[in-house]
Amino acid sequence: MAYQFDFGQVVSGEYGQWILSGLGVTLQISGISIVLSLALGTVIAVLRLSKVKPLVWFAASFTEFFRNTPLLVQIFFWYFGSYSVLPEAVNQWLYARDFEFACGVIALTVYTAAFIAEEIRSGIFSIPKNQLEASRACGLSFLQAMAYVILPQAFRVIIPPLISQFLNLIKNSSLVMTIGVMDLTYMARQIEAHTFHGFEAFTVSTLIYLTISLIVSLGVNLYNRRVLHVRSR
Amino acid sequence: MHWDIVFRNFDYFLIGAYPKGPLGGLAMTVILAVGGIFGAFWLGLGVGLMRISKKPSLRWPAMAFIEIIRGTPLLMVVFWFYFLAPVVFGHTLPEAESALIALIVFTSAYIAEIVRAGVEALPKGQMEAARGTGLSHFQAMTHIILPQALFNMIPSFVNQFVSLTKDTSLAFIIGVNELTKAATQVNNRTLTAPTEIFITIAVLYFVICYCLTEFSRYLERRINRYQARGR
Amino acid sequence: MRKAARLTVLACLFTLVAAMPALAGKLDDIKSRGTLVAGVKDSQRPFGFVDEKTNQIVGFEIDLMQALATRLNAKLELKPVTSSTRIPMLTQGAVDIVAATMTHKKEREDQIDFSITYFMTGQKLLVKKDGGIKSVADLAGKKVGSVKGSTSEQNVKKAQPDCTVISFETYPEAFLALKQGKVQAVTTDESILVGIKNSDDKPEAWDIVGEYISPEPYGLGVAENDSDFRDFVNAALMDMWEKGEYQKIYDKWFGKTTKDYLPLTWKMELWP
Repeated sequence: MAYQFDFGQVVSGEYGQWILSGLGVTLQISGISIVLSLALGTVIAVLRLSKVKPLVWFAASFTEFFRNTPLLVQIFFWYFGSYSVLPEAVNQWLYARDFEFACGVIALTVYTAAFIAEEIRSGIFSIPKNQLEASRACGLSFLQAMAYVILPQAFRVIIPPLISQFLNLIKNSSLVMTIGVMDLTYMARQIEAHTFHGFEAFTVSTLIYLTISLIVSLGVNLYNRRVLHVRSR
Repeated sequence: MHWDIVFRNFDYFLIGAYPKGPLGGLAMTVILAVGGIFGAFWLGLGVGLMRISKKPSLRWPAMAFIEIIRGTPLLMVVFWFYFLAPVVFGHTLPEAESALIALIVFTSAYIAEIVRAGVEALPKGQMEAARGTGLSHFQAMTHIILPQALFNMIPSFVNQFVSLTKDTSLAFIIGVNELTKAATQVNNRTLTAPTEIFITIAVLYFVICYCLTEFSRYLERRINRYQARGR
Repeated sequence: MRKAARLTVLACLFTLVAAMPALAGKLDDIKSRGTLVAGVKDSQRPFGFVDEKTNQIVGFEIDLMQALATRLNAKLELKPVTSSTRIPMLTQGAVDIVAATMTHKKEREDQIDFSITYFMTGQKLLVKKDGGIKSVADLAGKKVGSVKGSTSEQNVKKAQPDCTVISFETYPEAFLALKQGKVQAVTTDESILVGIKNSDDKPEAWDIVGEYISPEPYGLGVAENDSDFRDFVNAALMDMWEKGEYQKIYDKWFGKTTKDYLPLTWKMELWP
């Protein structure tokens, strides 16, 4: 039996709509998770650099634990395992909403935040120590020194690695289909189940992921060149 | 809490139905990870060397390969090899093998970038000096450049191994009997202890990956000290 | 280096070349190999599931496959499949036959061939007892759990466009979501729902409700255009029915004494 190609069927009509709505969900879940993971990652990094022992300990175990377990297992844990940890009322309140999507966001956020925290920490380390001391000597508190002096400089250096973490997040978001979030990968599989034209559906969705990745990495390259250019002057 | 379910099935998590049935669980995870890193190292080394080659006919395919693979989610790569590779190969591959190939191909793109970074980090003079003593480009590469570059990059390889170990969990989606699959099987049968089961396997993965991460940090310190002494 | 280059080319080829491998003479294949490779469910009580004591896959469909393997003088090898992987695995030849609660549907005829019906059931709803859902009409605005790539998923959307279908990899996962209150109903074939319901600690807390949303005749999936093998499978099924072997296997998994009691109300089509 020769395989009949039919890209038309996959990119137009009802199935084309599915792909588009899947892409929408992928972008949405990635966008929300990127913002949240950046915030959480920054908090964790600052906690880890604070001098308060329990906070340092907490931040360190957070990063180590979530970096060193598979995202897929974390997704399952949040989706199926959170049930017996949270109070019943909270559960039912959550379930009445888009719980699948929320779980996807939580899993992606926490997992990526652990990596982002490490990137930010190494970025902060790249700023000479005496800067912090100097700003403290000027009368700034630890948090103020972080927020106004250290972090703005650190972020400039760590933007490229941060963006590659965001890119990982977009790619990792394909895993949320295992808990029923209807993202791009989920839709590709749905189309396969309905039409048996998996080849075309997977090709189209792979190309979409690739396009997103290539556009972003081109952006990073431009940024790198510009920053390098600024430095060389 | 139903920790008894975890205890009763702990052997299943570790080795699957072995020895009465097929090997599975954590043992399969380790096999996938070790086999994967071995394959990915050689394939990645090849692609990485092509990538830094001066010949466009070698450099461009390598670049395309690296960019395509790194721009695609692993899950997609797994699906490609599982559902569509037989169309190309002409015969089927067992799930574990097709997952292994997907993991090797995926990881090799990242290894290639590590190899490239390692070689490019070495001072340019090394190559010139080696060529100056009469070595061919190939000889200089294999005897002078690569040993140093790869040695410096050992921590990065170990980190990649950690990622790979986590990535093996995706093999579950195409039905390979590894640790995540074992967990979902037990969870599907009992339906009473999802929290306990997923915490348990998270800890199992964590123990392996954390030990490897610490090992990589230790190596990094050792290598830094070694280089500092050399200067 | 050459291997790398070859793989690179291969990766590119994916988007360009596609030709299904020609599969011919499964019957000879199986006999010369000495093994029958069957794709079965591994978390679908009582059709196919992992036995807690032995860690082996057991169930109604496994026994059926064993009876078929005996008739082929072959050893039985089981491969776990899910609703979304079973057809691709068959078309690629990864398994010789699929016995995985698969409904014989016209659309699937394009990809694979089916045996005669070996199990007859219909799609219903599994809900919490006294939860207010009695039929498909009550599902408006509710979340319903199902499984990716199943007929149930598509049927319920047609029967009740106002519900949200959340699709999982396996039915027990969908049931877990029901237990935890994430979905208000699980929909699939009655035979499967019975198994799911009885796998719970408190089966009496759940109800199977509604009219049949659709009839669901199960057929064994075999590769397209291999009539020798399909004839053999059909003859074997009829032989099992006539000799009472089928009923024995049925009783073992669905009989009165089992937890998953489901009376045998249909007759296999027997060719004279």
